[in-house]
Formats: sequence, C-alpha cells, structure tokens
Amino acid sequence: MDNETLRNTLKVQRAMRDLTQADLAVMAGVTRRSINAIETGRMVPSVLLALKIARALEAPLETIFSLGPATASV
Amino acid sequence: MTYIVPMNQQLEDSTELFLRFSRRNMFILLVVVLLLGAAALAVMLTPSGRSWRIASQAALLPVAIAIIAATLSSYRGRSWNPDAPEVKLVMNDEWRRTNMLRASRTALIVVLVAQWPLALLFGFYMSLPSPRQASAMAASSLTLGLATLLALFLFLDRE
Repeated sequence: MDNETLRNTLKVQRAMRDLTQADLAVMAGVTRRSINAIETGRMVPSVLLALKIARALEAPLETIFSLGPATASV
Repeated sequence: MTYIVPMNQQLEDSTELFLRFSRRNMFILLVVVLLLGAAALAVMLTPSGRSWRIASQAALLPVAIAIIAATLSSYRGRSWNPDAPEVKLVMNDEWRRTNMLRASRTALIVVLVAQWPLALLFGFYMSLPSPRQASAMAASSLTLGLATLLALFLFLDRE
C-alpha cells in the first residue's frame, strides 16, 4: 500500500528567510512556477532540484521535504 | 550582495517575459496546426470542390511561413535567443518539462485510441478510396496529436 506522499515546508522556510517564490526560483535555477507547483503539492521535484532548493535555503533536505500520509494536510 | 539582488530581479523579469513568450508561441502554433490540419482534411475529403482552389494557392505558403516565423521569433522587442540564460532556464524548467511529458503521453494515447474511429469514419462511413483514406488518417492523426499536445500543455502549464 503506497499511502505516503512528499510533504514540504518550503513556504515556511521561505518566509523565515524573507524570500519570495521568484527569489528562490532564481537561486535554485528554475522558474517561479516550479517553486509554486512544489509548494502547492502539484509537482514532486527531482532529487537534483530538491538538493538545489536545500542548498539555496541553506537547510538540510529533510527539514524541507519529508514523507507523510497522503490524506493529511500540510 | 548589493549587486546580486538587481541581477536576480532582472533575471526574474526576463524569465517571466520569456515564459509568456513561450506560451504565446505555443498558442500561435496550436492555431496554425488547427488551420493547417483543417485545410489538409478539406483538400483530401473534397478533391473536386473549392478547397482544391485554395490548395492551388500554395505559392503563398512561403509568405505565410515567413510571417509566422517573424511573429514567433520576437515578443515585446525581445528575440528568442537559445543561448540566453533566461531562455535556457525556461527551456530546462522542471515544471515545464513535467507538463510537456504529461501532455506528450496523453497525446500519444489520444492518437492511438483515435485510430479505430478514424479508420471507421474514413473507410466505412465516408467510403474514401485507399490512398485518400490513408492521407486523411495521417493528416487527422497528426493534427489531433499536435493539437492535443499543445492544448494540454497550455492547460497544465497555466498559472
């Protein structure tokens, strides 16, 4: 049974650093739409992009992305 | 740091501009594909009708292609330079690539599923001779596939 999904704290991490989606997008080398899609759970980022986001936020990967139940709200 | 912020702002603005540029081009391509597909089908299905006269104006095609190419290559004074960093960023964007992959998978399924109804339509219902039936199926499959790909991509990639 695959009832787990990728959850993220991207919005919180961004707010803590006073960064806009566009700022983070430039830092991670993607467009703002990619960041928005990840934040809203419409896209699961590749490992490469997840690592780039973690590097841009200077935070460990597991504080930004984690596994959680598919039905729970973030 | 004071130099990085304006540069980032500039890159953000350029990226947004090229995203809109890309979406506009996709929309123009969708319209062109639908028009060409409809024209091709009209020519194939009514060979003795008015559409043959339209097809005889094929000399105008290079002019139309030049106008379309000129329209696609610039947007608000900016040209599409594949080596520009913002264009590379847009083209390699993960969300865009994901959407293109989803759209291409769906377009392939649509084309495959449509073969049986198209064969019935052109072969049995319209009773076209074999060469015209094959041509009509090819034109309709191409139009259907490309239109599905572009329309679905534009839908998935919306804000």
